[in-house]
Amino acid sequence: MLSINYKIAWVHLTSSLKQSIVALLGVTFGICMYVFLTSFVQGSGSVQTALAFTSMAHIHIYNDGPADNTNLVRKFYGANVLSLIRNAKVIQYVQGIKNTADIISLVRQQPEVVALASEVNIDIFFRNSANKINGTLSGVDVENENKVFGIADYMVTGKWDDLKYDPTGVIIGSGLARKLSLHIGDNINILTPDNISKTYKVIGVFQTNVTTTDNTKAYININSARQLLSENQQYLTDLQVNIRDYDATTPVVGRLAPVIPYKVERWQVANQQLAAGAILRDVMSTAVSLTILMVAGFGIYNIMSMTINQKIREIAILKAMGFSGGDVTTIFLTQAMVIGLIGGIIGLGLGFCLAEAINHIPFKVAGQKTLPMTYLPKDYVMAFIFGLVTTLIAGYLPARRASKIDPVTIIRG
Amino acid sequence: MENDIALKADHIVKYFYQPEPFKVLKDLSFEVKKGEFVSLIGKSGSGKSTLLYVLSTMDTDYQGELVVNGEKLTGQSLNQLAAFRNKHIGFVFQFHYLLPEFHVLDNVMLPAMKLKKLSRAEIEAKAYDTLKLLGLADQALKQASKLSGGQQQRVAIARALINDPAVIMGDEPTGNLDSKNAEIVFDIFRQLSHERGQTIITVTHDDDFAGKSDRIIELSDGSILPAAN
Repeated sequence: MLSINYKIAWVHLTSSLKQSIVALLGVTFGICMYVFLTSFVQGSGSVQTALAFTSMAHIHIYNDGPADNTNLVRKFYGANVLSLIRNAKVIQYVQGIKNTADIISLVRQQPEVVALASEVNIDIFFRNSANKINGTLSGVDVENENKVFGIADYMVTGKWDDLKYDPTGVIIGSGLARKLSLHIGDNINILTPDNISKTYKVIGVFQTNVTTTDNTKAYININSARQLLSENQQYLTDLQVNIRDYDATTPVVGRLAPVIPYKVERWQVANQQLAAGAILRDVMSTAVSLTILMVAGFGIYNIMSMTINQKIREIAILKAMGFSGGDVTTIFLTQAMVIGLIGGIIGLGLGFCLAEAINHIPFKVAGQKTLPMTYLPKDYVMAFIFGLVTTLIAGYLPARRASKIDPVTIIRG
Repeated sequence: MENDIALKADHIVKYFYQPEPFKVLKDLSFEVKKGEFVSLIGKSGSGKSTLLYVLSTMDTDYQGELVVNGEKLTGQSLNQLAAFRNKHIGFVFQFHYLLPEFHVLDNVMLPAMKLKKLSRAEIEAKAYDTLKLLGLADQALKQASKLSGGQQQRVAIARALINDPAVIMGDEPTGNLDSKNAEIVFDIFRQLSHERGQTIITVTHDDDFAGKSDRIIELSDGSILPAAN
């Protein structure tokens, strides 16, 4: 036997069908927009993050150089003694990272770590006869570099793996190739800060769509880079580490930083504007979506209040017949719930369709084909929960008012 | 002796505070016996409706003590009182207050569905019986809003009867009806009172109506006038 409260709620809903549908459309629209907006914003966010992570690892370990240690007077006599030291010279005792084998095995032991790449990065000039461009020559551990940055996916011509067995081969960025008029098979000359010059052969061109990278970067085999610098087989300047969840860098860095005598940097610190941008985008989309839901909530509130005003005599008579305040709340809250549930489910469906449609609009920027979109179940669950909470609050306030109606004042008029 | 008493009001005092403090009911005490058909009369502002709503348990803002069907109601919570009304008090108001979207039958069943003492089928059978008693069996499946005023008031009486209440309270139940329909409603009340032993307390302006009831309680300025009969 369906409880009489639900029956009354059902009759209210179906007898003023137009009102119910308007309230329902409010929720539908709110949830639809919430789903679409979060999917779209997260889609563009993940595209941007993916782009950023083509040139940046989640955790970067490198030799940051010595701290400013030039004021030796203060070190011995304290801050109260004035000293004037001009043109202090800094001697960097350690270039690059030493004891790399120990550090690499320590990093590999961390359970979150999924990929680790060693690099020897050298600032150099690229030259093709008269044209000179300064940039970075990156000596890489070919296989692992690809695991961290997925660089093989960005190859325009040539094959990434060829670098493994070609000590004189170089893979250059597309911008660099254009500026120096280089094609596969051409020679490129480089000049190191130590005035060492060497010629490599272009065996591939990549394009990450991050312009600075494409314009200034070239890859060679890590052993060739060591040879160029006359360093030993363990020498490297940078360790690039990827972990499972790029947002969860803090605990890994917290464990590594105290035991590794070099700079251990999270991407959020290295690239603060990216992290800030991601947070701001999230805040913006959530704010907009919640605003839409709130407007829908006001719609429900309005319609529920109207219904209650129309039915105020009925409510009074129900209370006279022995329906408690709780019964009255149940009656009106049930109506809000039904509106929220049905509107929510339709809204999720419409939101998915809208996202799917927008996802097909062409968008040919930065290597994209169509507008980006994510389809995360989490977003749909959140949208549904937010929608229900909004309807419940919007329904509860007038329902509570209805439950407090004093039958005597209404019936006596 | 105690068992014969359907309703007992003991030193009921009530104030209105708006617009200024005013004593509406001045220390009223009386008893209504089971099966008695009582009319509350008095001029406008004499406090007769106010008294009825105190007796109905809907108005709890009074001093004194109210006992209905042997149960002391003064001091009970609103929810307890609601449950008590559902079970023991039936109402007939000046306006019928039926739920317009419901069938006549559903309207009559409503208080019983709330009480949940009987199964749905039993309630339905009982609602039919009650409608038959009031000559409305053929209207059972019509929408309540489609009935005439007199018919609607009879449906309201059927609704008041469905849970076999200890007391039926009426607030000018014939106030909106023409004399023919008023006559019908009065006959139903008298029949209920005499043949089924139903206790009835109604407020009325209609002296004819009051004159034909078992007992008249006349209020004037918040006090009961000495009984004339």
